[in-house]
Amino acid sequence: MERAAFEVLEGEFVAIVGPSGCGKSTILNMIGGLVVPSSGAVLIDGAPVEARAPRHVGYVFQKDTVFPWRTVARNIALGLEYRGVAAPERARRVREAVALAGLAGFEDAFPATLSGGMRQRVALMRTLVVDPEILLMDEPFGALDTHTKLTLHAELLRLWEARRQTVVFVTHDLSEAITLADRIVVLTRRPGRVKAVHEVKLTRPRDVIALRESDEYAGEYGQLWHILGEELAEHDGRRT
Amino acid sequence: MTERARVTLWRVAILIALLSAWEWLTGIKAISRTPGLYWIDPFFISRPSAIARRFVYLASGEVRLSLWAMALSTVQSTLWGFVVGVSTGFAAGLLLGRHERLARVLEPYIVAFNSLPRIALVPLITMVFGFGLLAKVVLAWTIVFFIVFFNTFQGARGVDADLVHSARFLGAGERQIMRTVIVPSALAWTFAALTPSISFALIGVVVGELLGGESGGGLGYLITQSLGTLNAADMMVALVSLGAIGIVMALGIKHVERRLLRWRPEYRTERA
Repeated sequence: MERAAFEVLEGEFVAIVGPSGCGKSTILNMIGGLVVPSSGAVLIDGAPVEARAPRHVGYVFQKDTVFPWRTVARNIALGLEYRGVAAPERARRVREAVALAGLAGFEDAFPATLSGGMRQRVALMRTLVVDPEILLMDEPFGALDTHTKLTLHAELLRLWEARRQTVVFVTHDLSEAITLADRIVVLTRRPGRVKAVHEVKLTRPRDVIALRESDEYAGEYGQLWHILGEELAEHDGRRT
Repeated sequence: MTERARVTLWRVAILIALLSAWEWLTGIKAISRTPGLYWIDPFFISRPSAIARRFVYLASGEVRLSLWAMALSTVQSTLWGFVVGVSTGFAAGLLLGRHERLARVLEPYIVAFNSLPRIALVPLITMVFGFGLLAKVVLAWTIVFFIVFFNTFQGARGVDADLVHSARFLGAGERQIMRTVIVPSALAWTFAALTPSISFALIGVVVGELLGGESGGGLGYLITQSLGTLNAADMMVALVSLGAIGIVMALGIKHVERRLLRWRPEYRTERA
């Protein structure tokens, strides 16, 4: 990657899109402190990110990272356990989170018995239950079918409207980016640079289903497609 | 009739057929009225009826060292060897699984010791630990340790890095990561080694008893004693008892394993 500079405002929902292999996830890992940039820096509130995962940052991985040996409730309780939250308080917050995510009745189920969508819901609630200020999401719904994806979009938006965390959401799915984000950072092919930062002018709260039929959505999609298409055309042109 | 009942019926039928054939074949005389000359000589393999009689006799209080006492000694040593082997194997596997360099340094020693046929150690163990319970436990330990060690080592090394990352993002410190990610991951592998471990512990103990003499007691001692007195019936009693002990212990451990690994999909299909 080179010269990938952009800013994310507090309480903002930013999506990063771009061709595969352009370094979308790397950016996220840099923000999360998993990867140290070879040059340049990531600043949160003006302070550089240390090589360790900061405590106020939540990370939802693309891969299923729910602990298979823990039940749903005990998975969600993890972050609270780590922070030494007392058991009664922990139980209360887990109960809330379970209800909020529509997982009631599955508290004592092991992840192996759940669908991919429900497992990702557990992963999301596990991250949100500790109330991170910044939420990093690396294609969290990438492996899900369209229907489940839309349901989770709606839920993520609902949860986010209530809390307004700062979100950086990596995806290769343009519709997903438009549905969720305030701004979309479009990256170029390798070596990844920031091609454009696109502002999504859709009003909130958004209805993920109705949205897709609206003209505004079609307009946004068209503009983004154009920006990305340029990138693809340029690349092909260089080749031939 | 259900499939299950049909299978059970066949099993019982085969058992009865085998026992009857054994009883009958060993009763056919080669030359009529000449005692002690048989087509198949019960002197070597005994007969079910004789074995049953010896079983009752050995299990009664009339003998100095009853079958129960011997079985208890074998079971006790096996369980000790199992517990000590599993716990030390787990600790060592976890330690080396998390310390790349230590594992590399120690690798040739581990491989060399593990390649050594354990039975060759029996005389040495006897010299050092004598003939009693301790020697048997040590022998079982040398086998179980490595089974559990290698499994745990694999598990501790193969911990999913993404699980560690996600724990870190949820605020876990190094010790919490050890407790909530690495130990459970490794344990999953350790548990899978429990069933073979108990069987191998029993093997180790019996081998120890074969050489151990009376002070070690146990069913292995009954076998050597029977060999000394050329008593096939007693030997069969020992073998049948060992078989029963082996099955019961393996089933017990399997049950525990299934309970501990109930979160794994492959353990959910069968009902415990």
